[in-house]
Amino acid sequence: MKKGHVYTLLFMLLISAVLTFALAAAYEGFKPAIRKNAALQEQRAVLYALGLDTGLKDAEVEAFYKDSIREGELNGVPVLVYGQGGPQAYAVPFEGSALWGALRGYLGVSAPLDQITGVVFTYQNETPGLGGRINEEVYKEQFRGLPITPDTVLSYGEGLDAVTGATQTSAAVLRTLNKALRESIFPGEAK
Amino acid sequence: MAVEKPRAIIRRTLLTDNQVLRAILGICSSLAVTNTMKNSLVMGLGLSFVTGLSSLTLSALRSVIPHRVRMLVQTLVISAYVIFVDLLLKAYLPDISKQLGPYVGLIITNCIIMGRAEAYAQSNPPIPAMIDGLFAGLGYTGVLLIISLIREILGFGTVFGMKVAFEGFVPWTIMIMPPAAFFIIGSIIWAISARQAKQAAKQAR
Repeated sequence: MKKGHVYTLLFMLLISAVLTFALAAAYEGFKPAIRKNAALQEQRAVLYALGLDTGLKDAEVEAFYKDSIREGELNGVPVLVYGQGGPQAYAVPFEGSALWGALRGYLGVSAPLDQITGVVFTYQNETPGLGGRINEEVYKEQFRGLPITPDTVLSYGEGLDAVTGATQTSAAVLRTLNKALRESIFPGEAK
Repeated sequence: MAVEKPRAIIRRTLLTDNQVLRAILGICSSLAVTNTMKNSLVMGLGLSFVTGLSSLTLSALRSVIPHRVRMLVQTLVISAYVIFVDLLLKAYLPDISKQLGPYVGLIITNCIIMGRAEAYAQSNPPIPAMIDGLFAGLGYTGVLLIISLIREILGFGTVFGMKVAFEGFVPWTIMIMPPAAFFIIGSIIWAISARQAKQAAKQAR
């Protein structure tokens, strides 16, 4: 079954084109469902950061989110605001780079800007089982209720533990959170 | 080469030539995803789907695929089906998609799929090749379910997430971790090899 180089080349080009086209078509078909799931996950993440993680069902999350969360601003930074009447808490989006890739999520702070209501990661590409464990409750829950002031610089130690075996990722998380505190939550204040 | 009957293929792929237990293929994912039965089932079905369809496709194309680049073509076809499964899970089973995480993408690297493509699909007609691939995948699923049944009961006290353990049962943490699967697979392989060796000895006499 010996075939020439030209045949081989054309065959590869053709089969690549056919498969790519088929996958692109499949993706178009699934896109609405995938988008909807991604939006739901994002909303759940925001609620978690705001400390409103109340075990809502999927169908309820959307309605609850619509009722109680609105887009707003904090020091000129676009944030998500919770609270009827006055704001009770803000979910501040953050973005940084960790060991293997980008790190995105929300840092929730109470409206008087005196404590963290929660931290959540919506995108991370860290090693599963090591750096990936920043997604585990044990790690994330440590941030809930931490007091903050304009001078706060988070560091591991008393009351805040890094993930064992994931030093770089753990350090990157604090670096990113401290940057969010400095630039989005307390900008322009003396350090 | 005469074409095998479907029943013979099914018997061979599920039992006598089980890909995990006899060919020792697909061990990586057998260690990784078998801590709960639900993950094992979805992983197994995903793999069966991919193996069946990739064997069908590669067998149908077997006379036009240039021999020198056949492995490239195999990988290409397999990847396409795996991405399709990944999209399917993301769209309709987002929770499981999240739990399985990187393992869905790693179906591509599961030796069973390329093993069937190389060993069977490239020299057999499409329909037997599809049956061979599908049941090789289901044989893998069966083994995964057995391992995860043991691990989930001892590690979480549940079966498919439903509580079955008695009050005061202390879960064995090691069962949730990959080493447990290592011991369980090892024991099963040992038991089956011992049995087959005994049968072979009996036939020889």
